Amino acid sequence: MKHLALTALLATSALTAPGMAQADADLRIYISSQHQPDVWREVLDKYQEDNPGTTVTIETGGNTSESQSQYLNTVMSAKDSNLDILILDVVRPAQFAAANWTHPIEDVDMEQYLPAYAEANSIDGEVVALPAFSDAMFLYYRKDLLEKHGVAVPTTWEELRAASKTVLAAEGNPDLQGLSFQGKAIEGAVCTFLLPYWSQGKNFVEDGKLTLDEPAALASMALWKSFAEDGTSKKNISEVATDDTRKEFQAGNALFAVNWSYAWAQSQSEESAVKGNIGVARLPAMEGGESATCLGGWEWAVSAFSEHPDESVALVKYLSSPEVAEYMAVHASLMPAFPEVFDDPEVLAAVPWFADARTVVETARPRPVTPRYAEVSEAIRTTLNAVLAGVTSPEDGVAEIKARLTRVLR
Amino acid sequence: MPARSRNRLSWLTDPSDRTLAMMLLAPLVALVMLIVVYPVLRLFQASLYENSLTSGLPPRFVGFENFALMMEDPVFWSTLGNTLLITLVTVPGALIMGLGLALMANLPFRRQWPVRLSLLIPWALPLAFAGLIFAWFFHSEYGVVNDVLRRFGMEPVIWFNSPRWAMAAICLTIIWKTSSFMALIILAGLQTIPRSLYEAADVDGAGKFRQFFEITLPLLRPSIVVALIFRTITALQTFDIPYTMTGGGPGTSTATLAMYIHQNTVSFLDLGYGSALAVVMFLLSMLVTLVYLRMIRSKG
Repeated sequence: MKHLALTALLATSALTAPGMAQADADLRIYISSQHQPDVWREVLDKYQEDNPGTTVTIETGGNTSESQSQYLNTVMSAKDSNLDILILDVVRPAQFAAANWTHPIEDVDMEQYLPAYAEANSIDGEVVALPAFSDAMFLYYRKDLLEKHGVAVPTTWEELRAASKTVLAAEGNPDLQGLSFQGKAIEGAVCTFLLPYWSQGKNFVEDGKLTLDEPAALASMALWKSFAEDGTSKKNISEVATDDTRKEFQAGNALFAVNWSYAWAQSQSEESAVKGNIGVARLPAMEGGESATCLGGWEWAVSAFSEHPDESVALVKYLSSPEVAEYMAVHASLMPAFPEVFDDPEVLAAVPWFADARTVVETARPRPVTPRYAEVSEAIRTTLNAVLAGVTSPEDGVAEIKARLTRVLR
Repeated sequence: MPARSRNRLSWLTDPSDRTLAMMLLAPLVALVMLIVVYPVLRLFQASLYENSLTSGLPPRFVGFENFALMMEDPVFWSTLGNTLLITLVTVPGALIMGLGLALMANLPFRRQWPVRLSLLIPWALPLAFAGLIFAWFFHSEYGVVNDVLRRFGMEPVIWFNSPRWAMAAICLTIIWKTSSFMALIILAGLQTIPRSLYEAADVDGAGKFRQFFEITLPLLRPSIVVALIFRTITALQTFDIPYTMTGGGPGTSTATLAMYIHQNTVSFLDLGYGSALAVVMFLLSMLVTLVYLRMIRSKG
């Protein structure tokens, strides 16, 4: 299986690497440590084999989107030519392009990717990055517990609350929480806030301006706060980050979890206490609304200060090719940015729920695309964190977000 | 004094003491100018421009507009307030603890080195490590502090849910970390006080308390002032511990001025505003330094 995939990779890299790759190039690629650089290493080793003049070294650092962004901001501000290729969270290409830190990528058919990624990576008509993998948020649930207590998979947040109450009361396990989500002031908390907001059919930004629907925003903040207060979630949910949710779910301490796709592979691994007992579904909706999810995924960009731009662009095109996407889907459960790879039999054998994931990703909503995204993110995540900690009321929280972001998004 | 030769290069080949001093100091002065004075001047210059890397526009001279914006920025005032609060709490706190530790370390132990080592370790630990360690200590579920509280039958506190408790945890950590540095400086001062003074005081019938206030403290004043200068300036620049413990949360209630500067420059890439904030911090530090220097000079 792996052999076949590697052979396919060999063929692809031989085809996509033009004669230009004969030039000796030592490329440094920055990969986020939470996205399995060891699996990317295998892909890069194949590329090196087919392009003898090119060696690729991986650099990793930081384990959250913000800390990696701060690191890259520092390196790029110094116009350092040390890094040739960067992996960027989907919310960053706009900022990097505006700061002139990316090298444009030409001769790429963006139609082959999911539309959301064609949009996120094309700034002012230029392609500044190509998708590494796609992602969205899902509802993870304990199949075994729901079946045991005859509870259906919830489709609305209120159903989730009721399901949690039933199962928790019946189980009587003090370590079991109903719902684990991210309340810490990390990048993911922006998604936490936006999920119920979008579910009510509201837009956050239109034409670059803030279009905040205050009642919808209030409903979102109040919803999360109510989970912390009525015992569905932990009282200290404001301390929980993405990987904490994953670990708690994997240890069997959560009935439901809101998380990205990466949690599946680890929750199904040998060390997981819940292997074989989990399911993944669309996120619940607000009453009368539609399920909404947050678009994730990371992108490959070429540094504007790279000393080997052509070789770097060639490597980036390879890394965002369908064959690599399939390899990463099978071996790292990273979702592809190509619609057709979702239906690939090998992929489905490794990650069966990707079949349903495709429609979810296709309807996922992107966070505001703006060069000043860092400020938008800071305002939303710190306010949500303060509301969950009980320091700010949901009403004051909404007012704060409106005040801070009207200035930034105009 | 030997007669000086009168050729043109005599200042070089046979310099006077003053010329020699200037020549020997020149490399150091050049270095200080390069790595201290020049960046500070550039900082002042940068604060007068509007320069946001994400705008795609070149830097634009705006005079004192950044400072005007700062005056109306509620986050600036709240971070300034947090910084001053931390300074007012941790400087005396570290001083008192440091004094206590130094007095203890000065007692005649048979083996000095375990005492000195335990005094040294908090100081040697990097600030970020201390912040992370204490963040775990104060974690509401897995932390040692709440575990101890539970064992004593008390309600555990969700430390980082409340601005007050989070600030208390941060101040505690800072005091723990910095009191060892204060202790080391004060200990050095303690050891210069001759034993004969205490012996004479014993003979005169003075109790331990009186000895402390009338012999120890006055003779320790120079060391205390030195320790206070270091402590106050670093307190104004507090960054590492709140950054790693709470990240400024909940909300922005534990964010310090240094963290706000970092956020504006490294995350928001707003170099003009960030520089203006840094100028304010620089001036504040200078002010404090001048106050202390005057204290030293006036009291000899």
